[in-house]
Amino acid sequence: MTETQSEVSVEDEPRAPNNVEVRVAANLEQLSVLRAVAAHIAMREDFDLDAIADLKMAVDEVCSTLIMRATPGSTLTCRFQANGNDITVQATVLSDSDSTPSRESFGWRVLTTLTDTVNTWIAPASADPGGYLTHIELVKRRGSASG
Amino acid sequence: MTRSHSPQTNAPGAARDGYDHLMPLFEELAALDEHDARRSELRDQLVTAHLPVAQHIARRFSHHGDLREDLTQVATLGLINAVDRFDPHRGTDFLSFAVPTIMGEVRRHFRDASWSVRVPRRLKELHLSITAASTELSQRLGRSPTPSEIAKHLKLSKDEVYEGLEASNAYHSVSLDHVLLQDSDAVSLGDTLGEDDAALEGVDYRESLQPMLRQLPERERTILILRFFGNMTQTQIAKRIGISQMHVSRLLSRTLEELRKGLLEER
Repeated sequence: MTETQSEVSVEDEPRAPNNVEVRVAANLEQLSVLRAVAAHIAMREDFDLDAIADLKMAVDEVCSTLIMRATPGSTLTCRFQANGNDITVQATVLSDSDSTPSRESFGWRVLTTLTDTVNTWIAPASADPGGYLTHIELVKRRGSASG
Repeated sequence: MTRSHSPQTNAPGAARDGYDHLMPLFEELAALDEHDARRSELRDQLVTAHLPVAQHIARRFSHHGDLREDLTQVATLGLINAVDRFDPHRGTDFLSFAVPTIMGEVRRHFRDASWSVRVPRRLKELHLSITAASTELSQRLGRSPTPSEIAKHLKLSKDEVYEGLEASNAYHSVSLDHVLLQDSDAVSLGDTLGEDDAALEGVDYRESLQPMLRQLPERERTILILRFFGNMTQTQIAKRIGISQMHVSRLLSRTLEELRKGLLEER
């Protein structure tokens, strides 16, 4: 996969008609693609403008965090799932690091502020090429009338 | 628009009389040889003396939401051009020549810098009406509106609203936003500095964050702190500072990106 390549696929599982998966080179230049997809999905879900902007910034934060720890040449996978009242985003990258992104950082503060829940975990990758899969998952609920 | 105006900059009419004594300097400048060392000295003197004119024009345009400091720079550039190109022997006074030159520079700035890519006029207008509608609806609803609420309000289809919202991605933070920053001092320094420190109390990375926060322009820092440490929504911040929610959103994204770069370099 080259640096500029990106791939958007819409899964057609009957239970999850609103799944979108985007796979891009783990490169900061791809952030705008992911931001645009996030904003577009939130807009189509008729989230309010605050929630749309929050989701977009959160996806930006998640993906840049993952890209910065990605194994060179690897792929970032970002799955968006609209569930009616919330949007779940799960992003995964292959990393050489066996620790999760810090929860004490400013970036994590940004994520917890912008989303309703956010979680991160790692899992060993398959033996070839080895390394660890770093996951971050967030949920953004539809803005309520109280803001 | 009430603060920090020095008295001599209040009205161009009043100022005009104040610049007459500079005419001999223009004569002198025009008479000098192109390589004369005194040229740059005279030029600096003339530019400095006329700075209030540039500031005045920048202030007039900053009603349109641009950052005044940016505009002042653009206007000063226009002023320098005017000083360089003015011919005192044409029989007009300098201000009659300089004011249109400076305004031309500012207008060009809006045309060139506001939209990062060429965006059709229809989309620009759509973007402006969405911004205005969103501000109005936010006030009524007490939260930001959804695309379908905006569509209903503007009697547009949802697709048109989507299109207008997406056009804002091509919109720079230097913008013609209609709901505007009348005065970037609207949230005063005293108001937020105390809050900053209190809000950052007990934050582990405070020590690495604080120097970077201090480097941010005051407005960007205020917005960042209110959002991430004061837990205010963008709409609430927009109302407090007097700019649109979309403008807050753009400033926040840009600030986060700058901070990320900064935190990255530090490692």
